[in-house]
Amino acid sequence: MAEAIPDTEKYLFDARVSFLKKFEDVYDFQYKKNTIYRTFLNALGYSRKDSFSPETIPLIPVRAFKSGPILPDGYTAELTFRSSGTTSMKKSSHGIAKAEMYEKAISSEFYSHFPENEVIILALLPKYEENPESSLIWMVRYLINNDASGLSGFIQNDNPVDQHWIEQIVLSNKKLVLFGAAFGLIDFMDQQNPFDSLSLEVIETGGMKTHKREMSKEELRNRISDYFKIPKSSIHSEYGMCELHSQMYAIGSEWFTAPNWVKVSIRKADNPEHECEPGEEGKIGIIDLANLYSCPFLLTNDRGVMNENGNFRVLGRWDKENMRGCNFLIDTDSL
Amino acid sequence: MKSADRHMNAINTCISQWLRPDNPQLKLAIERSVDEDLFSFEDIKHQILALKQALTPDKIDRWVVKSGCTPNSLRNKTVMCLHAGNLPLVGLQDFLAVMISGADYTGKLSGKDPYLLPSLIKIFQENSVFQKSVFNTELQSFFNYKVDAWLFSGSKNNGSVVNNILLDNHVVSEDSPSLIRTAFFSAAFIDTFDKETVLDLTEAVFRYGGAGCRSVAIVVSPLNLNDIKCEFTDYVENFWLNNPQHQHPSRELAHRFALNKALGTNQAWLNDFLIEEGEEVPRNKFILTWMKGDFSTFSSVINNNLDGLQSAYSTAAYIGEHAGNKIIEPLSAAQKPPVWWKPDGIDTLNWLQKNLL
Repeated sequence: MAEAIPDTEKYLFDARVSFLKKFEDVYDFQYKKNTIYRTFLNALGYSRKDSFSPETIPLIPVRAFKSGPILPDGYTAELTFRSSGTTSMKKSSHGIAKAEMYEKAISSEFYSHFPENEVIILALLPKYEENPESSLIWMVRYLINNDASGLSGFIQNDNPVDQHWIEQIVLSNKKLVLFGAAFGLIDFMDQQNPFDSLSLEVIETGGMKTHKREMSKEELRNRISDYFKIPKSSIHSEYGMCELHSQMYAIGSEWFTAPNWVKVSIRKADNPEHECEPGEEGKIGIIDLANLYSCPFLLTNDRGVMNENGNFRVLGRWDKENMRGCNFLIDTDSL
Repeated sequence: MKSADRHMNAINTCISQWLRPDNPQLKLAIERSVDEDLFSFEDIKHQILALKQALTPDKIDRWVVKSGCTPNSLRNKTVMCLHAGNLPLVGLQDFLAVMISGADYTGKLSGKDPYLLPSLIKIFQENSVFQKSVFNTELQSFFNYKVDAWLFSGSKNNGSVVNNILLDNHVVSEDSPSLIRTAFFSAAFIDTFDKETVLDLTEAVFRYGGAGCRSVAIVVSPLNLNDIKCEFTDYVENFWLNNPQHQHPSRELAHRFALNKALGTNQAWLNDFLIEEGEEVPRNKFILTWMKGDFSTFSSVINNNLDGLQSAYSTAAYIGEHAGNKIIEPLSAAQKPPVWWKPDGIDTLNWLQKNLL
């Protein structure tokens, strides 16, 4: 693997270094080394002499990763993740040039919310487990393997959780964090008994669309709260994607915060070089500086909204406007 | 004369009055639509000329015969049409189906096409073809106005939103029949690039800025985009000289072009439109996908996209053939459908009779 810019990599996760400083260094590296991103900028009419703020920098649409991993010149992938999807769909591929950076991004943010050595992780991620290249499975497996107690692990819906295992978790006096895909949690609540006498935190990872019955995030949170008899402040969400190194968490609510090396903005769908006002829906844009060795400037196809505090909510897929056919039939102003 | 014949005569009289070159109401509706920048004059003119060809008495009779419908058989029923406004007069076929059926008409007009269809509805009112008619651009004005069935064209999400609004406001009940059409694009197979084919293809793709479910969004062809793009672009520019594109894409399209360039995807950038080589049906406007492939590729595209596909078109050699589950229609008819064409494969007239009689 070629030499990176060592200084940037060293302070990438350091909260004492300003985001702007890290952003400028990473942009500089990307412009020099990432042919795809540089060509994208040039085709938009920008050159090296143009400078951008995190609010205005052009973001490359995530579908770029459907053509294969994006790596800076001279870099190769140690790991490759692929998105899930039907066989007819083109899947995204994300090449990870340095696994240790991926691990650092995972652990820095996760342990800032759920301190290391104080939690045991159970993961309920059916379907994802069928995808050996799932970034979510890799992330959760990394956290499970990192638990020195050895009590963390994957659980299955069609196999009741071993009572002895639960007793050991209770005896450890640690908090139990249940990582669950939305559809997995719904099936679990339909099929199994809740854990008894546990200090439980639930992290849902999304994935409602694949379930036979859709329910809103609020419904899901209410159902989890009632079923496990835990307050909603103990129900969290995780937002990540195959194309990112980093994950974001919504702690006790539906509003996500980003780690210090990530900046999320809501971009206007018709002009992604502009941010939406707080409260205005748009496409979720992510600058993930941990994507130093792939592409850190990404425009997702997710619909989101920012609040005045800079936290964001994920509202689903962006499928509103600009559609062909008769989708403008009902003018929104007449509803 | 039988009641059904009298009814059809009245309908034909209304249509003929409406399409008369000296009809001041239609002229005013066109002027207002153009003045308020709702549609281009050229697109409206194209639509009216296409309707003049399609709405002759013999063709309307043919539709009635094909549909197996008895005109004027739904006298005691009320049908609500929620009209689209993405093209001029796009809801006209639904209106005519309701008129022929004899049902009373309730029309939620689009705020994007508020003048053209009313210029026809008013003539029907003046000629007392129906007992009651209500039409308006505001959905709220229909709340608590009970109808027996409703017709809609839009997305699935939109359809369920509208259904809930109509249910909540007692316009329809749980068991009211609804015809919801969701197709949003059409496809064409092109294996020659002679002048007639390219002219038809240009019209099929670029008319109305590519909007509408009958517009071609994906072309399957054994020809390489790179080999034909210069010639094709000449035809498109000539088309735009005579039919300036009314709507223009946002900056988002430039981002798509830039990404294609970065990824090395073959494309033709026309400023107001993007033609790109690929395999996916574009969901956004102002994009044409050019897919390299033979007729079997075309059949696969049809079968893999049945959910959103309206029509499959090609040139003379293929018309009437099966491509997947679709029968190939003439490319030249993409923007000039016959009055009996079936949106989403369903004859509206037949559907009304089956569900309401």
